[in-house]
Amino acid sequence: MAPRSSHQPASTQKGKNKIRSASTRRSRKRLLQPLLEYAQDAIALVDDAGCFLDANLAACQLFGLSRQALLGRPLLDFIDAGGGHEGLNLQTSQRQIGELRLVNSRHVFSEVEYSLTPAVLPHGHLLVLRDISRRKAAIEDELQRQRQRVELFSEVTLKIRQSLQLKEILHTTVTEVQRILRADRVLIYQVLPNGTGKTISEAVLPNYPTILDMEFPEEVFPEEYHQLYAQGRVRAITDVHNPAAGLSECLVDFVDQFDIKAKLIVPIVQNLNHNGSTSPNQLWGLLIAHQCRNPRHWVDFELELMQQLADQISIALAQAQLLERLEEIVEVRTAELQDVNRSLKQEINDREHAEAALRQSEEQLRLITNALPVLIAYVDNQQQYRFNNNAYFDWLGKSPGEIYGAHLQHVWGAACYQRMRFYVDSALSGHTVTYENEITLANGNQRSVDVTYVPHLDDQNTVKGFFALTSDISDRKAIERMKDEFISVVSHELRTPLTSLHSALKILATGRLGSLSTDGQQMLGIADESTERLVRLVNNVLDLQRIESGKVIMDRQAHNAADFMVQAAEAMQAMAQQHEVTLIAQPQDLMIWADADYILQALTNLLSNAIKFSTPGDTVWLTAEAGQDEAIFRVRDEGQGIPADHLERIFERFQQVDSSDSRKKGGTGLGLTICRKIIEQHGGRIWAESTLGHGSTFSFTLPTLKE
Amino acid sequence: MIDSSAKNSLTTRRILFVDDEFDVRRVVQTCLEKIAHWTVIVAESGEEGLRKARTEQPDAIVLDVMMPIIDGSQFLSALLAQPETRSIPVVLLTAKADSLDIKQYEEMGIKGLIGKPFNPLTLHQEIATALNWVV
Repeated sequence: MAPRSSHQPASTQKGKNKIRSASTRRSRKRLLQPLLEYAQDAIALVDDAGCFLDANLAACQLFGLSRQALLGRPLLDFIDAGGGHEGLNLQTSQRQIGELRLVNSRHVFSEVEYSLTPAVLPHGHLLVLRDISRRKAAIEDELQRQRQRVELFSEVTLKIRQSLQLKEILHTTVTEVQRILRADRVLIYQVLPNGTGKTISEAVLPNYPTILDMEFPEEVFPEEYHQLYAQGRVRAITDVHNPAAGLSECLVDFVDQFDIKAKLIVPIVQNLNHNGSTSPNQLWGLLIAHQCRNPRHWVDFELELMQQLADQISIALAQAQLLERLEEIVEVRTAELQDVNRSLKQEINDREHAEAALRQSEEQLRLITNALPVLIAYVDNQQQYRFNNNAYFDWLGKSPGEIYGAHLQHVWGAACYQRMRFYVDSALSGHTVTYENEITLANGNQRSVDVTYVPHLDDQNTVKGFFALTSDISDRKAIERMKDEFISVVSHELRTPLTSLHSALKILATGRLGSLSTDGQQMLGIADESTERLVRLVNNVLDLQRIESGKVIMDRQAHNAADFMVQAAEAMQAMAQQHEVTLIAQPQDLMIWADADYILQALTNLLSNAIKFSTPGDTVWLTAEAGQDEAIFRVRDEGQGIPADHLERIFERFQQVDSSDSRKKGGTGLGLTICRKIIEQHGGRIWAESTLGHGSTFSFTLPTLKE
Repeated sequence: MIDSSAKNSLTTRRILFVDDEFDVRRVVQTCLEKIAHWTVIVAESGEEGLRKARTEQPDAIVLDVMMPIIDGSQFLSALLAQPETRSIPVVLLTAKADSLDIKQYEEMGIKGLIGKPFNPLTLHQEIATALNWVV
């Protein structure tokens, strides 16, 4: 802006005032003009089209043109196309501020801050520009530096974090710090719980001594230092020999040993305890950088890097600690899992053994059952086969697969099943049953079988099924039949001559065919008596054979026990009198379920025995009493008694206590056997009790009628 | 068949005894004649028995069952088949009393069954009881 000079004419008062104020303005203008001209900022006036009307020196310098060259040029010419000038608006009345990128006539770019104050004059706008290129460059430089540091830091951190092994992390840290800082030695000194410590990691240039594994003397690293470092003290010593560094003499001596001139020390602090919770800072160790050649001024970045890496080490320590704990936990868990695994393996092993044993046992069972010529099976409580041996195939022509799971009726057919059913039901009610049946084999042959069902009870005594054993007794039955026939035939053949013999003797004895001498009569008596016995014997043998062969079906009906007792006593009264024995019957009213003829036969047989083995004057008692669901009959005598070892045997055939004595008494040796058969056919029991010299008691039971 | 009036006297009884065994025939004949004082006609076979039954018209027949050629059952059938013998009462005397199909014989009208060996002294009473004769 060119200084303008003008003359100030005097006028009226008013005019004078005007002249005064104009004069003031001029003097001010004169004052401002150099200020504007030499202002640091570029100041210009632009018209409505943005063309320069005037500009100060700084503006001319900024645009690289003389004032003359600049005036009339549009501002737009100097705005860098990529600089974004859209914000600059000359049509507004608002003040605008912003930044622009300019390119001057010498193609030099500059960053400027602008402020546009519109209409400071009619059609004149004030533009103030400040070159901020250097400031921006500095900021960018700083940003760049920071970015590099961040990158560097990230790079180191990444390297550190690539490992979970603390030793490796520490080694990476010292190596990287040494590389970045170009320090002569970088080390990590670990403080041990007892206050001592040593260098555990080091990166050192080849021409300097190593201090790895070295313990620092206590005076070099006293306890109070621990506290300070724990609180985060960082020491950056430019020159160890500079008294301002405040190093103790001994420490200076110590560092001199290793030719250390400058050092930077940052603490590695740990704030995690063993159980993972946070705890007050604890000094774990120090990250130390040494400069050995010469003193060194440590810059902030270096300090910062060291601190950040020390923090990384702290994190790594915490992680290592966690890892260690994790490993411990994993170890414990692994041990537990191994235990579980072991016991599981053991269990599996045991189970496999058990299964193998079971298989073996099953194989053995199968081997044994298959080798036996009998049907062996297990039937469940649904009457379905769950096991059967090979004999089923041999007999019935049905494979184990056909039989397994099949119902009894399906295997045996409806008719046979009907005969089995009662016994099956009994077995499934928990009773062991044995019966005989007739079956038809696959080849059409009829066989007699003996069948036994043994119920299978579980711990709760619930019937789960039954074991079935079926054996072929056809041969035995055939032999039995032959025996029966033989006995029958022999007995009948004996009867015919006996009939004649017996009858002839009897008639002779009557004397109707003439009289005999005394000797003759005696001989006749002997013959008669022997014949009688022979007749009884044949009759008994036939009786027994008939009962045993099952040809006799007990015709059981309801009877009063008292009636039997009276009838039997009456029948035996004559014999008792003959033997001079008192027979006392004490009839008891008990309803029993029995075949009258056979029970009378049993009773008279027992009474007959009792009378026969009594001595004259003795008494024989016939009594009865009610037991549980049964009537108990007793025949008691006062005879000589029966030895204890004979009490059971006397019920077997021809097992008299004294056979010669029995013969004298006219016994056949079959009476008690017949009695036992009769009683057993009735579902009762018979037994003898005796005291030698005091007599015997024969008792038997018969089922009583239920209400 | 119950005999009521004229034949009630023991001395007037006429019995036909049929048995293939001579000993038995003799013993039974002796028993009944000597002890019961009955008249006993004997036959040693079924054929002879049937013939004598027809010709002799006995008051009753005591019949053995086990005989060759014509056994007791066949004898009874033939007896029933002859009108003149149909009404003669029969009592069986057999060693097979216990294995015999009594029902079959009962259906053929027998009056009783006496087992061998029998008591010769009471045989006549057993026969009389079976025939409802008063002894």
